[in-house]
Amino acid sequence: MKKLISISRILIGIAILASTACTKIDNYDGPNASFQGNLVSSEGGNLLTSGGSTQIRLQQIGWTSPQTIPSKFDGTFEDTKLFKGSYKIIPTGGAFWPIYDTVTVKIDKGTQHDFTVTPYIVIKNFTATLNGTTLTLKYDIFAPIAAGLPTITEAQPFVNTTRLVGAGASIRDFSDAFKVSINKEYTDLTDAQKTMSIDVTGMLPGRTFFVRVGVRLNDSYKSYNFSDIIQVDVPK
Amino acid sequence: MKSIHKIIIALSITVGASVTSCQKLDIAPKNIFTADVIYSSEAGVKSVLATIYQNLPIEDFKYRPDGNGDPLGFKHGGNDWENFYNEAGVIGEEVGPFGGMDIAGGFGYWPYGDIRNVNTLIAELPKHTAVLTQAKVDALLGEAHFLRAYYYYAMAKRYGGVPIIQVAQDPGAPLSELQVHRDKEEAVWDFIGAELDLGYQMMGETNDKGRANKYVAAALKSRAMLYAACVAKYGSTNFVDGQARSLGLVGIPESKANTYFQAAYDAAKLLEGHYELYNANPDKVQNYVDLFLKADSKENIFVKQYSIANNTAHSWDATMSPRYFTANALSRSYPTLDLVSLWGDLPVTNGDGTPKRFNDRADLMNGLEPRLLATIYFPGATLRGLTFDMQRGIYPSFSGTAAAEVAKQPNSRSYILAGDTKTLYQGKQIIGFTGPWTGGDELTRTGFYVRKYVDYNKPQATVDLNRSEQPWIDMRYAEVLLNRAEAAFELGNTGDAAVCIGQIRDRAGAKPITGALTLDLVRRERRMELAFENQYYWDLKRWRTADVVLDRAHFKGLMPYYVFNENKYIFLAEPELFNREYTFQKQFYYEGIPGGEIGKNPNLLPNNPNY
Repeated sequence: MKKLISISRILIGIAILASTACTKIDNYDGPNASFQGNLVSSEGGNLLTSGGSTQIRLQQIGWTSPQTIPSKFDGTFEDTKLFKGSYKIIPTGGAFWPIYDTVTVKIDKGTQHDFTVTPYIVIKNFTATLNGTTLTLKYDIFAPIAAGLPTITEAQPFVNTTRLVGAGASIRDFSDAFKVSINKEYTDLTDAQKTMSIDVTGMLPGRTFFVRVGVRLNDSYKSYNFSDIIQVDVPK
Repeated sequence: MKSIHKIIIALSITVGASVTSCQKLDIAPKNIFTADVIYSSEAGVKSVLATIYQNLPIEDFKYRPDGNGDPLGFKHGGNDWENFYNEAGVIGEEVGPFGGMDIAGGFGYWPYGDIRNVNTLIAELPKHTAVLTQAKVDALLGEAHFLRAYYYYAMAKRYGGVPIIQVAQDPGAPLSELQVHRDKEEAVWDFIGAELDLGYQMMGETNDKGRANKYVAAALKSRAMLYAACVAKYGSTNFVDGQARSLGLVGIPESKANTYFQAAYDAAKLLEGHYELYNANPDKVQNYVDLFLKADSKENIFVKQYSIANNTAHSWDATMSPRYFTANALSRSYPTLDLVSLWGDLPVTNGDGTPKRFNDRADLMNGLEPRLLATIYFPGATLRGLTFDMQRGIYPSFSGTAAAEVAKQPNSRSYILAGDTKTLYQGKQIIGFTGPWTGGDELTRTGFYVRKYVDYNKPQATVDLNRSEQPWIDMRYAEVLLNRAEAAFELGNTGDAAVCIGQIRDRAGAKPITGALTLDLVRRERRMELAFENQYYWDLKRWRTADVVLDRAHFKGLMPYYVFNENKYIFLAEPELFNREYTFQKQFYYEGIPGGEIGKNPNLLPNNPNY
């Protein structure tokens, strides 16, 4: 009898332990909030970006280390694995006039927010004309705010075989190889110099390329303002 | 009977317990040394200094600029053998295992534990003049101020402004006192300068090898003040904006530049007459090789020593040369043609653009500056009785210009390459025993190997990992002369700069500079003289030129080929065979304050711009 009692006591103990083990101690929500939006250019449309440059920098209030969401090529951004809470947010790292004031956003499921930025340079009237295997790229540059603009260091084509084309996503022999040094202030450029042209030679026949141009500025990020992307089919 | 036994046992326990209970339990622990033990003798103080010196942030053979391992970055263990993970390998002096600018973000160096040791030392020493004598205490205090400056210098060049802590913090103090704020960058450099002045004033002329004397403090001051001067001058035009900058936590007013240049110049001048350039051997090449290996060199100001017996040896010999010359080792980083070209273009191309034909690859070395030949192993050079056999491949025949050949796609070039040294082309070995080859590590990807610091006297059988003991020369007089020349030039004293550069070039076996000295020439001289000595990485940062020099940068090698039908050799300048790309972003001029430290002390915010 005594034995039975002691065994049952042990069993009861195990049962209590087992049942309490099921209680959730970690009642903190997982990263199920999301944040998305557009980087709107003050000159119309979205700010066109490329890999590894423009970012949305978020810092959750009460925490010390910031995190970033990289902008997509079309100027949108999205992060679906954020913790719910209030964040101080600022777009950074791109070729636009720096923003110093953060906005505070309460991020929850499906939170949307658009940022408006003023690009350093807008690339207009971008055309790509193929003549044999030589691709001629023509474009005009325009600065919404000319005074105090960082030095324009260079312009170059970006050519790739996919729509993901830009700095860090281009074929070096068709892109970096045709870089044009400028190293001038925008205000020192004549109107004629603001109309630019670059020839890319030796395009491979029978292939499809995606092309854009970038104008680079000597700001903190040495970032590019980009044109839109044009598809080029080189005939056989 | 049984009960008697029990009584005896009970009695002996009682007696035993009562006798021992009279002993005091409150005795000093034997494994903790208290201040009065340590400071009762010079040997005790030395034991404290040993730890402080061991952790001193000297960027030596073993320094891992990516911070890999434990302790982070600055190594002093028995198996820190991967000496090819070096700063030279991200700035174009070499190409190596780093895939790009991997190290620029830093590794969170934060040596306040070591600084606490120095602060304790500084607080304790004056209490022990009776035992140690006043003179000894003063000299030791001077040394401590130098050591503290060395730690702060390593932080200032990384982070700009950091908290200046001169008195060891009391762990029991309220949190608000412990969570200190950052000081301004300018204040930190001024503090470093003042500490080194104390070091100069209080230390003696000589000290044990590996320890500082007053001139070591002056030499470090010339280095540190030059850094501060350049931050003021060049950092005021090339910078990343942010809150830390507007608060002065990074950046120094431009108006302070000349004050710091003058301080650097004056400090460098203090060493004149006390140290000299090593010039013992009339053979200029051998002399330059030996200056890094001869213990008695009067050029050495401050050295770090290594020992197989103490389990601290390094692996420079085994990791800078391929297995061909060593017992069991691996090389992985190789000098670039870009570095070699600082000495001028190599004569490998004829006037019409065709590659010059050589009967013997070693002929390329004819007429080159002795310092260049002593810094880098060229094809045809010898080491431990063996010849550097660099050959990238064979051309059955070669026509046209070098430029046209290099511009071709690899698959349309008519050369023959091979996967190993055993493969032959019509009886002729295709690749050389020492590369260049891309099939694995250990053979050059540029056509060159490092010669500086390589101990040519070591028998091949003993060249193994963790078996090199030649000291690292952290400061040598040539650097002090170059610091002085640069500061003098920046101050407009071109004459003195020219004298210093002239001394350096004369010892190097270089031709004197003809025409006017320029800042570019002063800087180039520094790069040539101090190649592979972990200086150029910081030079690029303080000159604020890194983002221009390293902007999607690719570097070149010099590939030797055998032209079969002519029985001659040619050299082609081609992209190095790792095909690395290096980009230095402007934010890297400062590293970010380590995240873990901000977690402990939010008062360190704002972080540096863009972090």
